[in-house]
Amino acid sequence: MTKPIIEVKNLAKEFDGNPVLKDITEQVNPGQVIVVIGPSGSGKSTFLRCLNLLETPTSGQVAFDGQDLTTLDTKRVNELREQMGMVFQGFNLFPNMSVLENIKLAPMKVKGVSDADATKRAHELLQQVNLDDHADAFPSSLSGGQKQRVAIARALAMDPKVMLFDEPTSALDPEMVGEVLNVMQDLATQGMTMVVVTHEMGFAKSVADRIWFMADGYIQENSTPDDFFAHPQTERAQDFLSKILM
Amino acid sequence: MKKKLLFMLALVVTLLVGWGATSTTTAQAATDNSLARVQKKGTLVMGTSPDYPPYEFQATVHGKSQVVGMDVAVGQKIAKGLGVKLVVKSMSFDSLLVALQTGKVDMVISGMNPTPARKKNVDFTHLYYQGGYSIVVNKSEKGLYKDKDSFKGKTIGAQTGSTMYNESKKQTTNTKVKGMTSVSDLILALQSHKLAGVAMEKPSAQAYVANNKQLAMIPSHFNLSASDTSAAVAFKKGSSSLVTAANKSVDQIRKQDLVNKDYLPAAGKYLKTNTVNTSMWHYWKAFLTGIKYTLIITVCSVFFGFILGVLLSLARMAQGGVFKTALRWLATAYVEFIRGTPMMVQVMFVYFGLGLIVNLPALTSGIIAISLNSGAYIAEYIRGGINSVDDGQTEAARSLGLTNTATLRYVVLPQALKNIWPSLGNEFITLIKDSSIVSIIGVSELIFQSNIVRSDTYRGVAPIAVIMVLYFIMTFTASRILNYFERRMQHD
Ligand SMILES: Nc1ncnc2c1ncn2[C@@H]1O[C@H](COP(=O)(O)OP(=O)(O)OP(=O)(O)O)[C@@H](O)[C@H]1O
Ligand SMILES: [Mg+2]
Repeated sequence: MTKPIIEVKNLAKEFDGNPVLKDITEQVNPGQVIVVIGPSGSGKSTFLRCLNLLETPTSGQVAFDGQDLTTLDTKRVNELREQMGMVFQGFNLFPNMSVLENIKLAPMKVKGVSDADATKRAHELLQQVNLDDHADAFPSSLSGGQKQRVAIARALAMDPKVMLFDEPTSALDPEMVGEVLNVMQDLATQGMTMVVVTHEMGFAKSVADRIWFMADGYIQENSTPDDFFAHPQTERAQDFLSKILM
Repeated sequence: MKKKLLFMLALVVTLLVGWGATSTTTAQAATDNSLARVQKKGTLVMGTSPDYPPYEFQATVHGKSQVVGMDVAVGQKIAKGLGVKLVVKSMSFDSLLVALQTGKVDMVISGMNPTPARKKNVDFTHLYYQGGYSIVVNKSEKGLYKDKDSFKGKTIGAQTGSTMYNESKKQTTNTKVKGMTSVSDLILALQSHKLAGVAMEKPSAQAYVANNKQLAMIPSHFNLSASDTSAAVAFKKGSSSLVTAANKSVDQIRKQDLVNKDYLPAAGKYLKTNTVNTSMWHYWKAFLTGIKYTLIITVCSVFFGFILGVLLSLARMAQGGVFKTALRWLATAYVEFIRGTPMMVQVMFVYFGLGLIVNLPALTSGIIAISLNSGAYIAEYIRGGINSVDDGQTEAARSLGLTNTATLRYVVLPQALKNIWPSLGNEFITLIKDSSIVSIIGVSELIFQSNIVRSDTYRGVAPIAVIMVLYFIMTFTASRILNYFERRMQHD
């Protein structure tokens, strides 16, 4: 039996006494692609951010590679965080740096990789996301789809064991969604462990190993895409799917 | 306003002196080592306000601007008597006694009258000169005035903090008395008919009238005691050994009438050579020195102010335990306090106040004070700049494993700086102008230099016009340069 890479136990999170995540216990195995879906405001982003401690859980445990993150000091959290890449809805590229510099920053400043090595690796990653000709451009000159692909390359530059995606295509014009999903699909094929929050049901159906359906602060269903889309168990999920698939 | 300022200053100094008093003054009273101390360091520092010819004024000697006048001759005589070297330090008249009390100078010779009020705070030597008062008027109006009583319904002027100022107020009726720090300003006001007359000591009046054909003098007929019309050398309270030693020279000066026989004629000579070339070009070196110091002060202050500003803004945003809360609280208090007090008072506080603990030169004090001041303002700009950076930037950096510090340094601060660049530029330009405040402690920046040129040439307006143009050239150039860099940062 493989050891889970992420283990969440009784995770709860509230903001100013307002519970958003109530009691979540799930795990992610290496190589798995998890797609988290659920209605807006159900706490998907909060959940993802609890996984790499951008948000501090109110209670419960988040273990990464067997280490409970909630008990670690800041330094160790930083170390484990670099093994979880994160991609945001709003890209969050650093506007004061070129594409290449965006990618090189963390390897050089966090891992102490040499400039030459970081540059080489950055070019490889840019080729992987089909953007090597934009290495010296600044983010402001890129389209949304290009920005998000740079953001993915930037996260990959730290050689993470897990990639977290928070609605990576929601801010994109429809014609650019495909290029980003393709990059993600390639990643999945290469065996990357991924937790993806998305409303792209096509991607969920074809790429996900498991679908986690989140509502009211709980993961209401954890099933394969086939099961979930064909036979949703809970009323919440049925309701959600009927709205989304119309 | 000057009064208030003086009062604040006095308060500050009293507090500081009082705080150190238990140890220093009592020790001093018990064992007065003032003479030994001066002899040991080999120099006697004389404080004076050099805009009061023929007592003391700036003159160009062998191409160099220097303080000359009868008081300097008196100072030299005293120094010689003690077997030490005389060092002359210029500052505004208001600041002289504070400088004496805080040890910035060893003695004050500045045509100062040993009034009872002053005697309470400092020790005076015997009198070295006994003069009288006159009133300088415009020659064209000389017929209108006879003495102090002819100015009903008019305004006369006198140097702020001087005996004349107080007596003019007391002994005239229906006459407004206006105080200004420098006599050259007063003469300028007289010539532009803001004042009808200027009360000053007779030798000064003679010097001004001799050098300016449009002026004339009339007797004042002030009713005065000997101590009001005479001048003595001031020493720090409790330095009786030094006073006794100085009195030997002072007594000689009186006995041989050196002031009238030697010192005044010598001073008069400087006044004559002085007026030969009063073109502003002749003083380009003085103005250049002024520009140099103005720029040094501004650049250093913005530099240190910026570093301080970064630290303060970070401290103000610190979150977490008791230590960080205390830090935040302190930084906030500092910023509020600095922004809530006048820069002029801060400059004096650093120079005179900190001067009690460490003896800082005026330039250093000025830079420290202005850095401390601009640090508070820059901190607020930076804080605003940091807050204007999207939270997503921090999250992205943290998710990549960057530490808090690295995130600030590589991601947040560069963007914050870009956002606040225009404000920083404004602060720089403001400081070019506001650094003029340090002229009160005698730093030879542009305003100070222009005052020297003014008292040197007896031309009031020309130097003002010159420095106005110079300031404009500096600020305009600076803003062009800053704009250039701002455009260069616009690549995103
Ligand atoms: N920092 C915060 N402070 C207070 N409340 C917050 C904070 N972050 C999120 N919330 C609240 O928590 C709830 C869940 O937010 P979250 O962003 O996790 O939902 P989501 O499922 O990602 O929604 P969406 O589909 O709109 O992205 C919302 O009601 C939101 O207002
Ligand atoms: Mg969300």
